[in-house]
Amino acid sequence: MSYKTTTSPAPLDQAFDIIRRAGPAKAREGIRVLVARDVDIAEGARLIVEPRPGLSVGVFRIDGSLRAIKNVCPHNGAPLCRGTLHASHEPGETREFHPGLVGRVLRCPWHGWEFDVVTGKALYDAKSRVATYPVEVDDGSVYVVL
Amino acid sequence: MEIIDCDVHPLESPEHPLQPFVPNDIREAVKQGMASMPGAGYANPFGVIRRDATCVDPVAAGRDYLDPYNVRFAVLQPQGIYAGLTHNIDVANGMARAWNDWQTATFLDADPRFLGSISVNMNDPKAAAREIRRVGSHKQLVQVLVTGESTHLYGHRAYDEVYEACCEMGLVFALHPGAEGARTPSTPVGMPSSYFEWHTTLPLTFQAHCVSLIAEGTFERFPSLNVLLVEGGIGWLPSLLWRMDKNFKALRSTVPWLRRLPSEYALEHIRLTTQPIEEPPDSEKLLQLFGMLHAETILCYSSDYPHWDFDDPRKALPSRMPSDLAQRIFYDNAADLYGLPPANREGRISEEAK
Repeated sequence: MSYKTTTSPAPLDQAFDIIRRAGPAKAREGIRVLVARDVDIAEGARLIVEPRPGLSVGVFRIDGSLRAIKNVCPHNGAPLCRGTLHASHEPGETREFHPGLVGRVLRCPWHGWEFDVVTGKALYDAKSRVATYPVEVDDGSVYVVL
Repeated sequence: MEIIDCDVHPLESPEHPLQPFVPNDIREAVKQGMASMPGAGYANPFGVIRRDATCVDPVAAGRDYLDPYNVRFAVLQPQGIYAGLTHNIDVANGMARAWNDWQTATFLDADPRFLGSISVNMNDPKAAAREIRRVGSHKQLVQVLVTGESTHLYGHRAYDEVYEACCEMGLVFALHPGAEGARTPSTPVGMPSSYFEWHTTLPLTFQAHCVSLIAEGTFERFPSLNVLLVEGGIGWLPSLLWRMDKNFKALRSTVPWLRRLPSEYALEHIRLTTQPIEEPPDSEKLLQLFGMLHAETILCYSSDYPHWDFDDPRKALPSRMPSDLAQRIFYDNAADLYGLPPANREGRISEEAK
């Protein structure tokens, strides 16, 4: 019946460590599916595609890079990629705001839960995460690797 | 079973008057009526004190209450809790001091089972911190006591100095109902018209202070601060924890200094006392509620002796409560909170052998 009251390090520090350590999307063996033309996704824009029947994925261009994230919120299954992109605040001292993750935080259109598009990491705990997929651009075509 | 009772009210009386403890410099001001207050809020039309009991004398209280109920420690919540409501800020500071010295001389010195609360004037946080440091090293003084009625929500930075002093002296910060509605309506949407409404809605204030303390990052700033919510009800806690954690997922960015789920701060830093315990028709429901609010960590027994809504330790809690949970609620949780010695197990065995 006991309740673990202290976890170390703090869950939000863990979450933001994962986000800060994120490098470029790793190349991955998989099925390459053509989903769009490179010119179809402008900076800050997104395209919702279906690389496989029943699998909805959002492809976003953030800071020049294309990022693909599953279009399902882990909360209630909302179409996550129809949410807005914005910044958030990183954890810091009390009474201080530290804006960060500009333009890469996806807010679910249903209940407003926040996710980092680049890593898929939720901003509210240490573990929750949405699946992300490598994106490759080849000769003007955009491929999602499943 | 040995008991720690987190809420016993010592009363001033002609035998043990407050007057000799009022500091010299404010005696004339008090005579001139400058200890006036806006009133104590809503009054129970049938009286607040039990007809068959009182708590004006330490020897009598020991004999009538501590002995028969096997209360090893009783945490006193004196009338000095109202000191901060006094209109004049300097007189308020002096009255807080008077109540603290009265409590020590009258009750603490008489019986080591009595533990005391430090009364402070929260309208002068600097003076409150000074008073905490003046008396806080007394071994029987275990907490600072304030009313639910307050100028600000308790997470407000105006009170930082008070929390700093609490941490420095190793004292709990305790919140008890008192005078809600004396200055502003006791609910956010207007004034109740009866003591029935006032008393039933006291948890509103407690929830507001509880969320404020967590959301403002008080426990990030003061990691050793512990808060005891006395007599504010318990049934609201599971809902509050769940609501905070749910909202955190969408609104964390508005409180970015929080590094854990809000419920984790509550479970680590906030404790609740039992009285007046909710009494559902089926006491099994109360045990379910205990499960939801982590009673094994959070709940500390209190009686409110000798007030009208006194909870008898032998009757108030479900009789089917597992004995290890009873041990936590009646003794261990408060002992952990205040740093008191562990329960005397012999006492427990002899009680069970009866």
